[in-house]
Amino acid sequence: MYYLGVDVGSVSTDIVLLDEHMTVNEKIYLRTKGNPIKAVQDGFKILKNKYNQSEISAAGTTGSGRMIASAIIGGDAVKNEITAHATAALEFDEDVRTIIEIGGQDSKIIILNNGIVSDFAMNTVCAAGTGSFLDRQAERLDIPIEEFGDYALKAKSTVRIAGRCAVFAESDMIHKQQLGYNQPEIIRGLCDALVRNYLNNIGKGKTILSKVLFQGGVAANKGMKSAFENALGFEIYVPEHYNMMGAIGAAIIAKKTVKKVGRTNFRGFELAGSNIISKSFECEGCTNKCEVVKIYENNTVIGYFGDRCGKWSNKIVQSSNDLLA
Amino acid sequence: MKVTFPHMGNVYLAAKALLDGLGIDYVIPPKNNKEALDIGTLHSPEEMCLPFKLMIGNYVQAIQKGADTIIIVGSCGPCRFGEYCELQMNLMKNLGYDLNFIVIDYPKDIGIKELYRRISQVSSKSNRKTYEKLKALSNSLKVIRLIDEIEEAAHMFAGYERNKGDCKHILNECKEEASKCRTSKEMINLLIEYKEKIKHVPIDINKNPLKIAVIGEIYTVIESYTNFSIEDKLMGYGVSSHRGLTPSWWVKNALLSPLKINSLAIRRNAKKYLPLQIGGHAIECVGEAVTASKEGYDGAIQIFPMGCMPEIVSKSILPTISKDLDFPVMSLVVDDMTGEAGYITRIEAFIDLLERRRESVLFRC
Repeated sequence: MYYLGVDVGSVSTDIVLLDEHMTVNEKIYLRTKGNPIKAVQDGFKILKNKYNQSEISAAGTTGSGRMIASAIIGGDAVKNEITAHATAALEFDEDVRTIIEIGGQDSKIIILNNGIVSDFAMNTVCAAGTGSFLDRQAERLDIPIEEFGDYALKAKSTVRIAGRCAVFAESDMIHKQQLGYNQPEIIRGLCDALVRNYLNNIGKGKTILSKVLFQGGVAANKGMKSAFENALGFEIYVPEHYNMMGAIGAAIIAKKTVKKVGRTNFRGFELAGSNIISKSFECEGCTNKCEVVKIYENNTVIGYFGDRCGKWSNKIVQSSNDLLA
Repeated sequence: MKVTFPHMGNVYLAAKALLDGLGIDYVIPPKNNKEALDIGTLHSPEEMCLPFKLMIGNYVQAIQKGADTIIIVGSCGPCRFGEYCELQMNLMKNLGYDLNFIVIDYPKDIGIKELYRRISQVSSKSNRKTYEKLKALSNSLKVIRLIDEIEEAAHMFAGYERNKGDCKHILNECKEEASKCRTSKEMINLLIEYKEKIKHVPIDINKNPLKIAVIGEIYTVIESYTNFSIEDKLMGYGVSSHRGLTPSWWVKNALLSPLKINSLAIRRNAKKYLPLQIGGHAIECVGEAVTASKEGYDGAIQIFPMGCMPEIVSKSILPTISKDLDFPVMSLVVDDMTGEAGYITRIEAFIDLLERRRESVLFRC
């Protein structure tokens, strides 16, 4: 028996299979590349050959693409990233008090008290300091992103980089590079700036207590970890499956849901081969003019999203109820 | 003369009832939509707050339908809203529109004579008798009170309803039908009918739904387009919600404010954290958070447009209240760039947080 978790994020799509003991049996990390449907299908192609549909007893989705992912795979639970991350972190360590999560487009802080989320915050109107910015800088300096953190650790001193805005941080980095500072120092300066920005922005007004878990794709960056440790003054922990925590959380939540409901909606790995397309149209029903997305699988409509009134999205719920009746 | 007015939630229903009663020709701008926002964003100063942009969009869309006179409420208040009318007059003039603006303001700011002169600009165009005009005014106040009551009941009962979606359905149907009414009398009868309907929605009194207070800046909490229909979303999640700031609250507050007996409970509750009137509705926001906590709500959501000064002040006060009273509060900032996905994530996570909190509190008992 396995539990499937799918986290469709802005940059990556992560798929995990957990076994009965909540240990990670399989993990797949794919780049979303702007096409969440294809990413999920690609992941399923890999799983299709190894597992049987009957072996999956629950499926859950999370991430910004959770609705679309759930519609195509037949998810039992659709949960927001914050709850999913907190659930996964607590599964691995009950004593965690703070979760720092930095992903591709957003960063979050989650404060836990006695094993429940007591407060959280997410970056609002700015994505400075998230994974995609680091990605871009690594590309600009021609350093593989995997080695980016090691460069920061090589630095003996640090250079102050203006980290409030990604665009200005980049100009500042170029300025410092033209003045002759070496790369490790600049990269370390960048990590420090991002941490400063995180703590002053998202962490504002929050008390960060130990034990701190650092998750999300950026946790791979050793430079960021050490910059956080310097700023906070204590050790922070990066869990083994730091980049899969969202998907793990989704799988755990799905397991609980199925336990309650008694059956799974999972539609099987066959969809890897089906022809899934999405079309969008502007609903003319009222002045709201919602942009509605329609998803087809082999020419049958399997989902609608984006309408405010429920005129379209309820259609699918109704027809599936009819099928059950 | 063909008058129009900017949107703010259900105010258009009351305005419609009033203008129907006065027999004055009017245009209701299309409800707030993407196009209105695009038009507004194009012509407004970039850092201007969201309500301003939408209002400009409303004007332009109403002008396209033949409007030539705009009625707005002013407030020589210490937030940007006080400057809206002047800025908008200039902006529309620069865009080449020949318009007549009628700004209704407090008598303490413009004098009772001036207020009378401004009102008579509209009322003189009506050929109805004086008592008919007064009747139209009282009918319109009745309309706004009724629709606010219906809305409040629907938002509260949504957590208790037996058949999911009943409240939302009745509320939407009610608004839809009300905008089709031809006379104010017809509208009032319809609203009374719907009020009865919403009162008799089958509910399960044994349910114990989450209760959330919606607080913050008045325009963005009332106008569902700006807050991505947060109240509809909460109804969908089966959460009961309450919003203190309504158009009828505003009317009552405005009438009582010269006597300084307006919103006494709110001011009393806010006093410890914000003793001064700092403009906008900051005191109301802070006071309502405290009130909601005392009344046993599970949490509060604050909504305000980016750059709203009074609400930025209350936002920085709310964490203290949250800590003192052990009462979760989440702030959401909206502007024309807000992405809905992140917004929904926050609301869902906040509801999860409240649910888990409750479970663990019950667990400990």
